[in-house]
Amino acid sequence: MTGETKMDQPSGGASKPEGSKARFDGNQVLNLLLRNLMVLVVVSVAVYFSIVRPQFATLPNMATILIAAAPFALIALGQTLVILTGGIDLSVGSVVALSAMSSAALCVGHPERMWLAAGVGVLVGLTAGLVSGLVVAYVNVAPFVATLGMLSVASGLAYAIGNGAPINGLPTEWAQIASTKVLGLQAPVLVMIAGFLILAVVMTRTSFGMRIYAVGGNRTAAEVAGVNARWILTSVYAISGALAGMSGVILSSRVISAAPYLGKGYELNAIAAVVIGGASLKGGRGTIWGTLLGLLLIQTLNNGLDILVVPSYWQTVISGSLIVSAVAVDMLATKRTSQ
Amino acid sequence: MDARGAIEAMVEAPALVVRDVQKSYGGVVVLHPTSFSVTAGHITALAGENGAGKSTVLKIISGQVRPDQGEVCIFGETLSSSDPKSARGLGVAIVPQELAPYPDLTIYENIFVGREIRNRVGLLDRSAMARQARDMLDVFELDIDPRWRMNRLSVALVQIVEIAKATTWGARVLLLDEPTSAIPDHEVDRLYSVIRHLSEQGVAMVYTTHRLAEIQELADCVVVLRDGKVVLESDIADAGEQTIVRAMVGHDMDALFPDQTKPTGPVRLQVRDLQLDRSGPAVSLDVRQGEILGIGGLVGAGRTEVLEALFGIRRSRGGTIIVDGESVVRNNPASSIRAGFSFVPEDRKGAGLVLSRSVLDNGSLPHLRLFTRAGWIRTSARRSAVAKAMSSVNLKSRGLGQLVETLSGGNQQKVVLARWLTHSGRVLLLDEPTRGVDVGARGEIYSIIRDLAASGLSVVFVSSDMPELIGLSHRVLVARAGKIVGELDRAALDKEDAQERIFRLASGQTLSVFGSQAS
Repeated sequence: MTGETKMDQPSGGASKPEGSKARFDGNQVLNLLLRNLMVLVVVSVAVYFSIVRPQFATLPNMATILIAAAPFALIALGQTLVILTGGIDLSVGSVVALSAMSSAALCVGHPERMWLAAGVGVLVGLTAGLVSGLVVAYVNVAPFVATLGMLSVASGLAYAIGNGAPINGLPTEWAQIASTKVLGLQAPVLVMIAGFLILAVVMTRTSFGMRIYAVGGNRTAAEVAGVNARWILTSVYAISGALAGMSGVILSSRVISAAPYLGKGYELNAIAAVVIGGASLKGGRGTIWGTLLGLLLIQTLNNGLDILVVPSYWQTVISGSLIVSAVAVDMLATKRTSQ
Repeated sequence: MDARGAIEAMVEAPALVVRDVQKSYGGVVVLHPTSFSVTAGHITALAGENGAGKSTVLKIISGQVRPDQGEVCIFGETLSSSDPKSARGLGVAIVPQELAPYPDLTIYENIFVGREIRNRVGLLDRSAMARQARDMLDVFELDIDPRWRMNRLSVALVQIVEIAKATTWGARVLLLDEPTSAIPDHEVDRLYSVIRHLSEQGVAMVYTTHRLAEIQELADCVVVLRDGKVVLESDIADAGEQTIVRAMVGHDMDALFPDQTKPTGPVRLQVRDLQLDRSGPAVSLDVRQGEILGIGGLVGAGRTEVLEALFGIRRSRGGTIIVDGESVVRNNPASSIRAGFSFVPEDRKGAGLVLSRSVLDNGSLPHLRLFTRAGWIRTSARRSAVAKAMSSVNLKSRGLGQLVETLSGGNQQKVVLARWLTHSGRVLLLDEPTRGVDVGARGEIYSIIRDLAASGLSVVFVSSDMPELIGLSHRVLVARAGKIVGELDRAALDKEDAQERIFRLASGQTLSVFGSQAS
C-alpha cells in the first residue's frame, strides 16, 4: 500500500482513485486554491497596489521592498525554527540592538576592525540565543519567560554600551556591509535569499531539520526515538540569536550608526510573519516557505501603504486587520480541505 | 409516522430505536441503513472493530451528527433536529471516549460547570454544589471528596464522575464510547458496577467495545457492526462467543496466538541488579535470543518503569545491562538504540508518534543515522527502507506521506512498531503492545512479534491483558511493588490455572511458592 504520495488528499483520493481524473472536478480546483490561499492573498495585494499606483510594480520599488525585508527576514527565519519546536523567542528585537551596539562600539574610530566588529555582532547574538536556549532546554524555564528575560537583559546591555546614547560617527566603510552589490543585488538581499534557501533545505533534507519538527511535534516521542531534544532546543535559540545579530549588523550598516532602541518590536513582526505562514505556535507545523509568504505579505503591505501615502497610524490598523483576516480565512480553508 | 410512534409507545416502547439510519462522508459510506433497538433497563454492547461505525452511531443518537437518512426515537419520541441539545432534552447523555475534564478544577466544579448553583445574590453556592456532588458520588459508592481536584483521580474515576454528571440531569439513555479503553483491569469492575447499578434504575445503557470479554461479562444484548452494517443483534444468552467473534471479524479467530517454538539460542539480554531508585528493589533478568518474555502484574507494580529504565528514558541508579556480552550505557536512549534496543511505549500518541508528521518521518526517526550522510538525508534510501518496514507489518495507509494522526489506532501502532524494523535490532521492548487496537490488527501484531522473535530478537513485553500475556510469552515474570515475585515457564502457562496463579502473585495473595527469581 505504500507508494509515491506527496500530499495527502483527505477526501476522494481513497474512494475513487481513477475515473475522477477524467471529468475535471471543480471541487479539486477549489481545494487547490484554498490550500495555497496565502499565495493568492499576497499576489492579490501586490496586484491591487500595482493597479492603484503603477510605481509600485517597478524594479526599483521591488528592490526597496527586498532591502527593507532583509533584516526582518533573518529574524523571521530564526523565529520559524524556534516556533517549530513549540517555543517563542521574544528577545530577538533587543538582541538586534545589542549586536548593533557591540559591533559599533568596536568599530567606531577603527575602520580596520570592520569585519572583526561584524563578526562580533553576530557572535553576541549567538551568545544571547545560546543562553536563552540553555535556560529553556536544561532548566526547563518556559520559552516565553526565558526570552522575555533575555529581552530585558539585552536591551539594558545595549543602552549600557552607549551610556544610553546612540553611537554615531562610524567609519564610512561600515556602510559597505549593506551596500556592496553582487550580481546587481545588495548584500543583505543576498544574505536573505541565501538564508531562505539554506534553511529550506535544512528543514526538508537534513536530520537536524527533521528532528526540529519531531521535537516540536512531540518532544517525548522524539526523545524515545533517541533524539537529543535538549541539544535541538538549545541550537534553535542559538541560531535565532545569531540571525538577529546578523540583522543588527545589517541595520546599523545601513544607517552607519547604532542605536540602543534599534529593532524594537521586531520580534512581533517576525512572529506575525511565521504565523501568517501557517505555522502552529504549539510547534511541529509550519514551513520556511510559509514564513517567506508571511514576510512578503507584511512587507508588501508596508510598502504599498507608504506609496499610497496612508498615515502611519492608519497603516498599522490596516495591516493588523488584514493579517488577522488572512490567517482566519486560511484557518477556515484548512478546515475545509481536511474535513 | 406519528401514529405508528404512538402505538409503539403504548406497547412497551423501547428506550431507543435506531431506524434505517445512514451516513456517508464525501461519498464514502460509513454507515449503511442501520436499525436496532434498545430496551430500558438493559445493557447493550455495541461491538465491532475500529472503523466499523460504532462511534458514528453514537454521535447520531446523541445529536452530534446528522444522519443522511433514517431516524432516532427515544421512548417513542423522534429526535427531530440533530443537535446535542434536543437529544439531551429527550434524555440522551454521552460519555465520550476521550474524556475532557477540567483537571485543575474540583470534582464538584467539573460536575456543575455550565449549570452552576447560585445563591440569591448570583454568586456561586459552593457548599450546595459540593453537597449535591457528595450525594451523587455516594450513589456510586465512591469514597472520594468532591472538593478534590479532578487531576487526583484515575481515568476510571474520571469516567464515573462523567457518568454521574450525565445522570444528574435525568438521562434515560446513556451512551458510553469505549468506556474501558483507558482503564486498567482492576478498575474496570468499579465501572461495571456503576453501569449495572444504573441499568437497574431503568436507564438504557449502550456502550461500544471491541473487547470480547467485556461483552460477555457486562451486556444483556449485543449489536455487532461490521463495515457500517449491523451483522448481529441478539440477546447475549443466545449468542455464543464464537458467533460474536465471527460477526466482528468476518472469520474465525482461532489463530490469534500462533504456535510456540521453544527458544534455544544463547542468552542475549542480561540485566543485573538494575536499581530504579535509591531504596527500591533491584531487578535482574535474562532473556534468550528469540525468546518472548512477558511481564505481568497490576498497574503500578513498576513494570513500565523497568522497560523505561532498560531503554534509558528513565534514570536508573545502578546495575548493569548487557547485550550480547557488551555492556550498555544506561540512562541514554540514543546509546540504547545503538546497542540494538527498540522500544514501543504504552502511550502511543504521547510517547510513540509525532502525530503531525508523516509515516515516512515517523518511520525513519529512530534509525535516522542510517539514512543520513553527514547530516544529509539520503532520500531514496530512507524511502525504500521505511516502505519495506511498513509493508512488512502490512500497514494500511494512503502512502508514506500520510500524516500519522489520520491513521487508525491499529495502524498507528504498526507504525510505532515498524519504525524500529528499518534496522535489525537485538532487543525489542514493548509496553502494552495492543492497547486500543482492534481484534484484527491485534492478531497481526502478535504474529509480527512472533516473527521478530523467531528471527532472533529478544522480546520483553509488559501487558495487563491476561490472554495476551499467557498466549504470546515463552515465559512470564510477575512483578509486584517494583519487584519480580514469580516466574511461570511455558509448561506452567499451558496449565488451566495459569491466569489465577499470575493474579495471585500480582496481588500478593500468596507467598511465592514457585521458583521465584531472586532479586
